[in-house]
Amino acid sequence: MPKWKTSVIAVLLAAASIAQESSGIMSADTRRVAGNLACLCKACKNTVGDCAMLECSYCRPKREKIAALQAAGKSDQSIIDAVVAEEGREALAVPPTEGFTLLAWTMPYIAIGFGLIVIWMFVRSLRRRPVTTAAAEIDSAVLDRYQDRIDKDTANLD
Amino acid sequence: MENVGALTILLAFCFAVYSVVASVAGKLGRRPFLVLSAERSVYSVWALLTVASSILVYALIHGDFRLAYVAEHSDHAMAPIYKFTAWWGGQEGSLLLWSWLLATYSSVVVFQNRRKFRAMMPYVTAALMTTETFFLILIAFVESPFKVLEAGRGNVVEGVGQGLNPLLQYWTMVIHPPMLYLGYVGFAVPFAFAIASLATKQPGDSWIHTTRRWTLVTWMFQSTGILLGAGWAYAVLGWGGYWGWDPVENASLLPWITATAFLHSVMMQEKKGMMKVWNIVLVSCTFFLCIFGTFLTRSGVVSSVHAFAQSPLGPFFVTFMAIGIAATLYLILSRLDYLKSEAQLESVLSRESSFLFNNLILLASCFAVLWGTLFPVISEAVTGEKISVDAPFFNRVNIPIGLFLLLLTGVGPLIAWRRSSVESLKKSFFWPTVAGLALTAILLGAGVRHFYALVSLALCTFVATSVMLEFFKGASAIRSKSRTNLVIAMVELTHRNTRRYGGYMVHMGIVLLFIGFTGKAFDKDATVEMTPGQTIELGSYHLQLTHTDSGQNENYRWGRLYINVSRNGRDLGTFEPEQRFYIASRQGASNVAIRRGVNEDLYMNFAGGGGQGGKFVLQAYVFPLVSWIWIGYWVVLLGTLICLVPSKSRLLYPRTEVVGIAGKHAKVED
Repeated sequence: MPKWKTSVIAVLLAAASIAQESSGIMSADTRRVAGNLACLCKACKNTVGDCAMLECSYCRPKREKIAALQAAGKSDQSIIDAVVAEEGREALAVPPTEGFTLLAWTMPYIAIGFGLIVIWMFVRSLRRRPVTTAAAEIDSAVLDRYQDRIDKDTANLD
Repeated sequence: MENVGALTILLAFCFAVYSVVASVAGKLGRRPFLVLSAERSVYSVWALLTVASSILVYALIHGDFRLAYVAEHSDHAMAPIYKFTAWWGGQEGSLLLWSWLLATYSSVVVFQNRRKFRAMMPYVTAALMTTETFFLILIAFVESPFKVLEAGRGNVVEGVGQGLNPLLQYWTMVIHPPMLYLGYVGFAVPFAFAIASLATKQPGDSWIHTTRRWTLVTWMFQSTGILLGAGWAYAVLGWGGYWGWDPVENASLLPWITATAFLHSVMMQEKKGMMKVWNIVLVSCTFFLCIFGTFLTRSGVVSSVHAFAQSPLGPFFVTFMAIGIAATLYLILSRLDYLKSEAQLESVLSRESSFLFNNLILLASCFAVLWGTLFPVISEAVTGEKISVDAPFFNRVNIPIGLFLLLLTGVGPLIAWRRSSVESLKKSFFWPTVAGLALTAILLGAGVRHFYALVSLALCTFVATSVMLEFFKGASAIRSKSRTNLVIAMVELTHRNTRRYGGYMVHMGIVLLFIGFTGKAFDKDATVEMTPGQTIELGSYHLQLTHTDSGQNENYRWGRLYINVSRNGRDLGTFEPEQRFYIASRQGASNVAIRRGVNEDLYMNFAGGGGQGGKFVLQAYVFPLVSWIWIGYWVVLLGTLICLVPSKSRLLYPRTEVVGIAGKHAKVED
């Protein structure tokens, strides 16, 4: 048998031996819980439920653990709590909505609110300009001419 | 050769420093020959970096494994094209590419403006060459691409390298990094003009007119780079995702968002003389976000699948950004008197207002992405606790913001400049709203209950209808006058005002992108262990593993599944997902099989060889509507290219002049 074929068989056998215990395939129930937990293998930003690396060093044991706890009749939340108790809140896929981490969720909307205030102030400052006072001092014929011209100029604008 | 390479980088550094000093000194001392010599130095920097880059590429292609960079990123067995792409496959080479592209852009700018903007050009040159100097410091003194391995010092070297990361040995990776870099680096040009306009106290329109085209071209490259990256992730990583909210992906999105905001708000300055400070701020933000993105990729401050190895570059980037931002802020604050608005906002119901909201939402989206990317670092610094901010967070925060932006994409063009009446708005919004609501009713009737999917598709219909009506109304007017057919009338219409109708086409491309994103709500997948002869059902597809095969070439070993696919009894052919093991780098990679379709893709990944009883693991996915993302990109590209074409009707009209406000009577070219 050529050397390369031996190598290929060796690679496939090695992969097979890794896959002996479990293929890493999840049930829908396991995926539901795993969707709340972050994959901490540092190679992706997916959840344990979404991570597509079949032999992911982090997700595989987590999925097995979730499945085992579900088989023991544990609720979804108690399984998540158990993982967090073991690994800290880093194990959660999203920051908890309490304490300092609440800021992660609120800051984008605070920023929008702040932006709206800035726009409101900007609009107010632009509309407060003493334009009308100056215009009142101009001869009405001149003003009409300008008005005609403005209308003409802006008629073709986008 | 490596000594020549290192020397050329060192010389380029000296010329760049000279160019900065000579251009500023020449301008301040009113010595035009000094300014001219500074501009000639820019060409010299380009020539020297071209030589350095050529030496590195030559070494990569010919396998000069004495060089550490070549040994780490190339191998004899790699195809020549991937040997070439190893130029930007590692830290040092990609920094050299950055520097070379910046030198190329700088040379083009100097050449194009050799007789124009003579007051501003010394500062433009100085700003560009300051950035160049920074990157040359990095490759000359910190991360040199010409480091020689110990074995190279008179010892015999084994003719093998570690090879390029297998995930990078894919065709889109040949063009994805250069496109992104063309985007990143290109934003330095509008920034340089903005700085020059502030320095010369000319913050009026000239820099805007000059840089709008640059920004558009750069934005196009950045869009292309981002979409190529998405296409690569989709086809290579084996899980069918095109966007993972990885910090480095986010870093490429941030300047793209601020540049998009700039391309919109710049119209306010061109047409109304408004938002001058804001435009300077946006251009500066875009530039510094590019530098920030490069910093994120290279400093290791956040963990990322894309990041280069940990390096000592972080403090250099922080220092450069701190000095740059402080200097820019000082210039803006000291020139506020020159940046006052020339016009007033006449009504809240106006195109001007819609641009304000567009900018607000774009910036909010940018902030949300930045905040989510940095929050783990901030949280750890403040509370000492590590926190994960993964894809679900970004999706939950950004989907509502994105949908609101989509709404504005349709609303903005329907509102008139200066002011709109409620009656005219009712008239403009009627058909797009009817179309959006009709589609929602149809989807609800078909059983679709996914809230965001319903909203997204309704908004897509709303925007698409509004864009098509704009084309139809304009083309109908031309057709009735010139008695031609509708298609020719549409071409004529677009040619008459390329910016406006090219812009609409870009909006249409964005709609198609959103349609593709929305398909994600309806994904199906199955992961199964199969033996030859076994079948599975996925949606309406019937998949049968007929047989397997394996082999080896010089570069990698492979194992392959042969999957026969049929749908509703119709044979769709045999697909061959493959698993590879690259010999030099000793890393595995997937080569997925995809049956692409307009309505959905069938995606198959050979995820694992063997198992109990010689089973093979197949991951199969159905991704509805995903092809519309790639179609949408082509439409965005076409629209952007149309925007770059000069309009047939070169309408010259004076900027709206408001009685009572002193201002120049500027001519604006549409």
